Amino acid sequence: MPPSIHPVHLITVLRQKSLTPVIVFLTSRRSCDEAFQAFESTTETLPQARQDVITNVLAELTAAYPSIQDHPLRQMVTVHGVAAHHAGHLPSWKIAIEELMRRGCLDAVFATTTLAAGVDFPARTVVLTQSGVRRDQDFSDLTVAEVSQISGRAGRRSKDSVGFALVTPSPYMDLGVLTRGLTGRPEPVDSQFIISYPMVLNLLKAHPVDHIQSILAKSFAQYQMNAQAATLEHRIDKLQAKLESYQPRECSDWLTQWSAYDHATRQATQKLQARRHHPPEVRARLPFLTPGRVVAFSRFRGVVLRRYRSKGQHHEMVTVLRNGGTVAECPVADITGVVDHAFDFAPAPAFPWAAPEALSWLEQQLGELPKQLPAIALPPPATDDGTGELVKSLGDLFPCPTCPCRPTCAKEFKAGNTVKQEWLHHTRTVQSLRTGLWHKFQERADTLHDLGYLDPTYKLTDDGEWARLIRIDFSLLITEMIRAHAFDAITPGALAGIMACISYENDRPGSFPRISPAMAGLIATTRRMATSLAPHDDPPLLRADVGGLAERWVGDTTVTWPQLCRSTSMAEGDIYRLLSRTLEYLSQVHQLRATHPDLASIAAEALSRIRRGVLEELP
Amino acid sequence: MTRDELERALAELPFRLLRRLARTIAGPPAMRMGKRRIIHTIMAAAETNQARIEAAIRTHQAEQHAIAAVPSTPAEAAADPKAGKPADLGSFLEGIGVPEPRPFVPDDWQVEAVDALERGDVIVSVPTGSGKTYVAVEATRRAMREERTIVYTSPLKALSNTKFTEFSKVFGPESVGIITGDRRDNPNAPILIMTTEILRNLLYDAAGGEIDVRLDTLGLVILDESQFLGDPERGVVWEETIIFCPSQARMLLLSASIGNPQELAAWLTSIRPNPCHLIRHQRRSVPLRAGYLHPNGKLTPLFRTVAMPPSPSQAILHPEAKRLFTMYEEDASYGSRRSG
Ligand SMILES: Nc1ncnc2c1ncn2[C@@H]1O[C@H](COP(=O)(O)OP(=O)(O)OP(=O)(O)O)[C@@H](O)[C@H]1O
Ligand SMILES: [Mg+2]
Repeated sequence: MPPSIHPVHLITVLRQKSLTPVIVFLTSRRSCDEAFQAFESTTETLPQARQDVITNVLAELTAAYPSIQDHPLRQMVTVHGVAAHHAGHLPSWKIAIEELMRRGCLDAVFATTTLAAGVDFPARTVVLTQSGVRRDQDFSDLTVAEVSQISGRAGRRSKDSVGFALVTPSPYMDLGVLTRGLTGRPEPVDSQFIISYPMVLNLLKAHPVDHIQSILAKSFAQYQMNAQAATLEHRIDKLQAKLESYQPRECSDWLTQWSAYDHATRQATQKLQARRHHPPEVRARLPFLTPGRVVAFSRFRGVVLRRYRSKGQHHEMVTVLRNGGTVAECPVADITGVVDHAFDFAPAPAFPWAAPEALSWLEQQLGELPKQLPAIALPPPATDDGTGELVKSLGDLFPCPTCPCRPTCAKEFKAGNTVKQEWLHHTRTVQSLRTGLWHKFQERADTLHDLGYLDPTYKLTDDGEWARLIRIDFSLLITEMIRAHAFDAITPGALAGIMACISYENDRPGSFPRISPAMAGLIATTRRMATSLAPHDDPPLLRADVGGLAERWVGDTTVTWPQLCRSTSMAEGDIYRLLSRTLEYLSQVHQLRATHPDLASIAAEALSRIRRGVLEELP
Repeated sequence: MTRDELERALAELPFRLLRRLARTIAGPPAMRMGKRRIIHTIMAAAETNQARIEAAIRTHQAEQHAIAAVPSTPAEAAADPKAGKPADLGSFLEGIGVPEPRPFVPDDWQVEAVDALERGDVIVSVPTGSGKTYVAVEATRRAMREERTIVYTSPLKALSNTKFTEFSKVFGPESVGIITGDRRDNPNAPILIMTTEILRNLLYDAAGGEIDVRLDTLGLVILDESQFLGDPERGVVWEETIIFCPSQARMLLLSASIGNPQELAAWLTSIRPNPCHLIRHQRRSVPLRAGYLHPNGKLTPLFRTVAMPPSPSQAILHPEAKRLFTMYEEDASYGSRRSG
């Protein structure tokens, strides 16, 4: 669907208005490819002279990047002067497109918004077809920084006097977001400091533990947290000043004293609450509402079967048998009169609270009662609402009930307590801002101690000494696997495969049908290990298919790149990235030459096998 | 609210909110719909979601209220962009083309940045495509004259490769080396190119006692695309690199504009031996204009003025762009028919 303007039409319009070269930003790799493919059916081609220039540039680049030679898209790029550029392509192909663009050979490139920052890839015009971008399975708006990164590619220094950012609508378009992006200030950069296991090991290798806090204090994270803390401390000072007006009275810390008293009062009151809930005339009725009592409601009469209190609201309720035979739950407050008449019956412990025969008997009796019956004259309600009783009972525990300050305290407590609670809250926050990093560090260090990488004085153990050389994500998983001898006598292919599994965090689908039984077993072991480490470190995705792919590439050196690509539905660029990440991981294992010579040499072998074909084109 | 009232209120909501609402009620397919169809989808599920829909409408209305209540400052009123006629296409497209060739003269900020490195660390925060590479190259030239080692780091291997080629062209291939996880090409060259992770690892090793001789003579560390410091996964590596960078080396942080470069500079100043100098501006070296291109090929300026409005609050849409966009939003099938 996007771009909603047909790509060929779009480029034709821009060519007419001299707005090329242009980069068209699209939502997905697929839409880039589709837009590019749309030119296949057009008859409009570049003049021969321009085609020749492209041919020459590509030939020039082929020397350094042989994979360009037979690239399937080469012909179309040359003939139409347009290209797609996204992460599904090989780096060498992307380099070729970038170079063609830099030299002004192309009229249009369809790219995704992930087009890397800093890659020199300018044009006269950029076209924005979307205001959102896919992030972690969801769509979110482009940030100001992202929009300015995109629009910043419009207008080449010394080649253009002016650059254009064109917006073309699509279903993914919110003009407000783009307007803000084009005219607003970029977002601030905030620290993303995290304390990782390799960081802990490497810091403790180089510094005694009592220096660590001062090193962590140098982080931007701490700098920003200090700024926050300073703002809060300013607030705290103000709150402190406010608290002055709640000076000590009879007791030195009356806020705490009163708060405890208040709490106790509340608890004790809860028991009284039900009674206090009702107006006095209702409360006066309560003693009479025993099972069998006849009561009148505004429109019917009934026999009380039981009295209870509703859960949560503490309303006094009665279950009554109405004339007519229905059993109903009624609030006591609805009773209009207590009749001077009660039946004797056998109550039951569960609904309907009376034996069946008693129920029908009661129903019958109720029907036979005369219309007019004397009502009970209720005693006048007691004036004490229970507080007096309460004060008496708490008086032994707290001075407050009899303290001369009591009225003032009662009046000022609420305001004073709000200030105090805020003060407490901020004080705690400041404390965690000041010491949070150090606590996190200690937490990590304790885990490393439990696992045996650090001794009780936080010095590196023998295992810690080599484990600190693994400085990648999931380092803990890898070092634990090594310690468990899971990689002993492993083949270079399987080592590459398992490293690929651990390193690859992309969940973009792509399947590879075959994985060896050895590989499958290894993945299962790794998964078990990752699960057991889950309390300390998030487990990796461990995709079996990518493991199989890397295993095949390293295990069988006769496999060619096109063969490898054909065996999976993954994009070429993704396979390249997978192997290149695997390479990083293997090179870390290779660092363990001194302590694990066998494993290191297997890693070296795997490394040299990965490095062939397109993987040799770039350092 | 009655159904009619609800439908009318929904029509008042911006597209963005409608889409969000539709997504929470009816799921992701709503992404591809136009305004009318989205309202339709929402109305279809209105019975069971009435409260949620009304809440969204109320929130929006409250927000609008709050925005309307803010009085415009006199300064803004004076520069009312509504004054005067909206720009026409002629003036919008005026001046397209290649400028007169001029001899290369470095911009003032570029010179200033290179000079400031003599005195301490430098952060350069200027728009994309301004010429930060020039600063990196000149600073490298000076450090080489003093026989110092220069490390250039970038977040991406692809970028490292480009810079490797670029630096090799300027300083000769014998002067430039590149280090990756498993390869060291020309590692004794005075200029070393690597990813930031590799440099961090070298700094770890140096701190751990395995001194790489090269770090002794380290004179300049260039961190390109240093806004990566804010990257959720990798940002920590930039922080570590800055914290562990030897004190005798100068740091040059290059970045496309970020919101808080002064905060970064203050941080560097607080932990490094010399004060950090901030070079910052938002001027684009080639002026930028924003346009709106309708699916039928009609082009109009996006804003009332030809020049880019200086802030979102002053960005008033061109009436024609607004009209065409509303037309598109109200009939999303238009676009899909064309591209069909
Ligand atoms: N003073 C100058 N006068 C004319 N052209 C210049 C000047 N400085 C740099 N340029 C040119 O500007 C272009 C962009 O420069 P460069 O790649 O350094 O930008 P950048 O700031 O690094 O952008 P990015 O944010 O994309 O990394 C280059 O082609 C360069 O030759
Ligand atoms: Mg750059």
